[in-house]
Amino acid sequence: MNFWQRLRRRRSLEADLTSELSFHRDMRSQDENAPGFGNETLIREEMREFWTIRWIESTLGDLTFAARGLRKNSAFAIAVIASLTIGIAAVIAIFTAADDLVFRPLPFKDPGSLIALWETNKVAPDATRSPVSPDNFLDWKSRNSVFEDMAYIDSGRSVFSDSTCSEELHVQRVPPNFFKVLGVQPQLGYLPSDTSSRAAADSEAQVAISFRLWRSWFGRDPNVVGQRVQLDGFPRAVTAVMPPGFSFGDREVDLWPYMTIYSSGPHDRGARNMQAVARLKSGITIGQAQAQMTVISKQLAREDPHFNQNWTVTLDGLRDAFSRKVKTSLLLLLGAVSLLMLVACSNAANLLLARYSARRYEIAMRVALGASRWRLTTQLLTESFLIVACSGIAGVVLGRCALAGLVAIAPQVLTQTADVSIDWRILVFAVGLSIATGVVFGLAPSIIGSKADLAGHTKSGTARHVMSYRSPRPWLIAAEIAISVVLLSGGSLLFHSLIRLQDVDPGLRPANVLTFHFRVMSPHDSIRFTQAVSIIESLPGVRSVSATSFLPFDGTAPVLPFSIDGHPASKPGEELSAAVRTVMPRYFETLGIPTLQGRDFTATDNVPRAPMRFVVNEAFAKKYLTGEDALSKRIVVSMARANSPGQIVGVVGDVREGSLSSAAVPTVYCIYSHMPYGQMTLLVRTQRDPAAITVSVRRLMHSLDPKLAVADIRPMEEILAETYSRERFLAVLTTGFSICAVLLAAVGIYGLLTYSVSLRTPEIGIRQAVGAHRTDIVTMVLRDGAWFIIAGLAAGVATALGVTRLMSGLLYQTSASEPVSFGFALATLAIVGLVAAYIPARRASRLDPMRALRVD
Amino acid sequence: MSLTTLPCIHKLVRHKLFMRKNSSRDLIQGTLDMLVLRTLAQGARHGYAIAVAIERRSAEELRVEEGALYPALHRLERAGLLKSEWKLSETNRRAKFYQLTATGRKYLSAESANWNRLVAAVARVMEAI
Repeated sequence: MNFWQRLRRRRSLEADLTSELSFHRDMRSQDENAPGFGNETLIREEMREFWTIRWIESTLGDLTFAARGLRKNSAFAIAVIASLTIGIAAVIAIFTAADDLVFRPLPFKDPGSLIALWETNKVAPDATRSPVSPDNFLDWKSRNSVFEDMAYIDSGRSVFSDSTCSEELHVQRVPPNFFKVLGVQPQLGYLPSDTSSRAAADSEAQVAISFRLWRSWFGRDPNVVGQRVQLDGFPRAVTAVMPPGFSFGDREVDLWPYMTIYSSGPHDRGARNMQAVARLKSGITIGQAQAQMTVISKQLAREDPHFNQNWTVTLDGLRDAFSRKVKTSLLLLLGAVSLLMLVACSNAANLLLARYSARRYEIAMRVALGASRWRLTTQLLTESFLIVACSGIAGVVLGRCALAGLVAIAPQVLTQTADVSIDWRILVFAVGLSIATGVVFGLAPSIIGSKADLAGHTKSGTARHVMSYRSPRPWLIAAEIAISVVLLSGGSLLFHSLIRLQDVDPGLRPANVLTFHFRVMSPHDSIRFTQAVSIIESLPGVRSVSATSFLPFDGTAPVLPFSIDGHPASKPGEELSAAVRTVMPRYFETLGIPTLQGRDFTATDNVPRAPMRFVVNEAFAKKYLTGEDALSKRIVVSMARANSPGQIVGVVGDVREGSLSSAAVPTVYCIYSHMPYGQMTLLVRTQRDPAAITVSVRRLMHSLDPKLAVADIRPMEEILAETYSRERFLAVLTTGFSICAVLLAAVGIYGLLTYSVSLRTPEIGIRQAVGAHRTDIVTMVLRDGAWFIIAGLAAGVATALGVTRLMSGLLYQTSASEPVSFGFALATLAIVGLVAAYIPARRASRLDPMRALRVD
Repeated sequence: MSLTTLPCIHKLVRHKLFMRKNSSRDLIQGTLDMLVLRTLAQGARHGYAIAVAIERRSAEELRVEEGALYPALHRLERAGLLKSEWKLSETNRRAKFYQLTATGRKYLSAESANWNRLVAAVARVMEAI
């Protein structure tokens, strides 16, 4: 008979037994000298045990009992479940975001031996991790003996087209051995065979594509390998489809065209513009590799001081290189979310302890009636299990929603490098966390319970020591308050910093400016940019149109050396340098950059025959032309091979290039016709909402040349907002966490004091009866709560002062110990604490003395 | 032979099975099973009759407790040594009558032989003192 049959037959078995036993009893009672009948209930119990699998029954019973108990105390249940749900959801959301960057192994073969290489300028403070020059890379590769293989990555964009349409996509130009270095095999197709010059030449006509592009562009065509496409107008064949999810530091890349670099000869080293990756030989440590690379970089500096003076090499593990930009932010969030989880757990523990205390009388009574310890323990555990299961499920659901919100407001740098998706490991983690919480907080009360003085508790529930410092509960609440102070100070510091950052004058007026980007395939087509400017100018509602090679706040302009006519020549390695930006006429007018001296570029400057003219920014004038009249100076900028000196015709205001929190870079503006680029970003200043003209712009561009791929149409304001998205992200999240923590702490204070009042009800009744005033009662209860609130606040401020110092790198013009932030955190918690304590105090003072005395 | 080689139904037995009259000493588990089977060897009986029979035959020295008897009966039935049937009793009431099965009979004869050897062995040891 199996278990289910047995369960089904239970009823008839019970009935049978009943009549069998009653027959027996009757027979026995007719027999005069027989002793009395035994304990019938005991017999039944024994038979039941025999009939069914006992633990299943008792577990089901426990579950029903626990569910009934929780429903009866729904306020308690909701409070605990909500606390844990918030904690678990926050942990899931943040750990998922951090997972890809911090925990998940990189999807490459033996990722631990992959190294990223950078060039570092010892004297320039902002060049600790510069990209790598191609020629230096070739020298490193031929001279080192520590790396098994090396590859470079040249990121950019290219126009990808087949016979029907074209689109501008993110590409990483890589050598043929790139995928071999990473140890990644394509999903479909093949990798270039070897590195002989013949194969290298062949691979120049090949391209590897992402799984995503294979799906979206080629519709998962199994015959994609060998298909002919065009990249920037040059024919290439698709030879490989990479596996799904493959990316190297930038998830937006869809194409990996092969490109082999060759040495450009001595004294003509190309600009530093590539990433480099290498695989360590087995048995070589990163330290040994660093030592050898430093030696090689010293040799290179001796051989070519003009280019390599003061430059050395920095090696990073590949994982660190990828997560470097977001690591601090993520660690901050991980810290904050762990603190929130701590508050949630201590709140849950506190509430479970309270519930246990309230049930002490009942439990003691049941022990006295013969319930086994084990039975009681399982019952308490079942209750916490039920709570934790509910919170776990709710937490996962809420965590998923929170994650969607998180991704929506996350800075691009995070979503670009990390694959933010919940996978089974995160779920296992969350479930594990829930179970651990349940076991700890389910067992703790029963352990305390089994030690409890049962005789004492059966007499009555007068446990008056709840507010004493010997009881664990006030300490838990004090810890919650302390953690909330830490979180709130951190959050308000970040918010302060964000507000200051948003107040920074970017140096241009971003409102009502639309930007978009396109490139041309051949120098003959560069006329398209001028044409585009003039036809868009004719659109109604457009005030002015211009273009630039590198949009401020979105990518950096190249920094090139220059010299000033009439100033002494500079020594090698100490050349003057400035960012150089190519612009079209009316650039400053369009972006709203003020012209301080002289004039803007005009159409007459923008012809190849026109004399060379420059506009410089204020930072340039201040740094290099102190006390001189900028407009009388001529400068030579090393842009192309022949650089004629050019007159400075204007000085314009600084634009906070790169990011708002760094100072302005000395910048030289050059007119388009003298330094043309194959790709430009167009800027359109409109009278009203710039998004309204998006469609017309697209149509005009299509009519100009259907082959042009217009990309990245977005308002300038959006680009600007992206620059402080990290700060906004951190501030919003940390503040959100601290609000949760404060609310949880308030629930904790409220719960504890309510419980203490309920225990002291008879005492309060007596006090009232002998003439205590209402305010006396309020003061008494508040005094009860005051000491641990104050202890929590003090501990919180002390901890916060230490902890926030760690985040000073994330703050802009805000001191890590800014008194306003700490004062705000303290005041908020003090007020919240007092309100949470005042409600039970007030209730205590309004007790009816007659009823209060009759309790027990 | 040892006591622990008694049949596997032993492990289902949880508490004292039956007691000696006026004494709290537990008797060997499994002995009750044997006594029940032996009583039923004379024909089908209901629970009460089994208890009475054991008490009579032991000259009131053994008393069977209901709390031990019924679990034992159900256990033996489950093990296939007994079968049961609802019939009218001598007093015209419905009662559950237990009866030996063929397996039960075989088991009983094996167990009686074991028991006799055990008793003889114990007696020899006790005599030696």
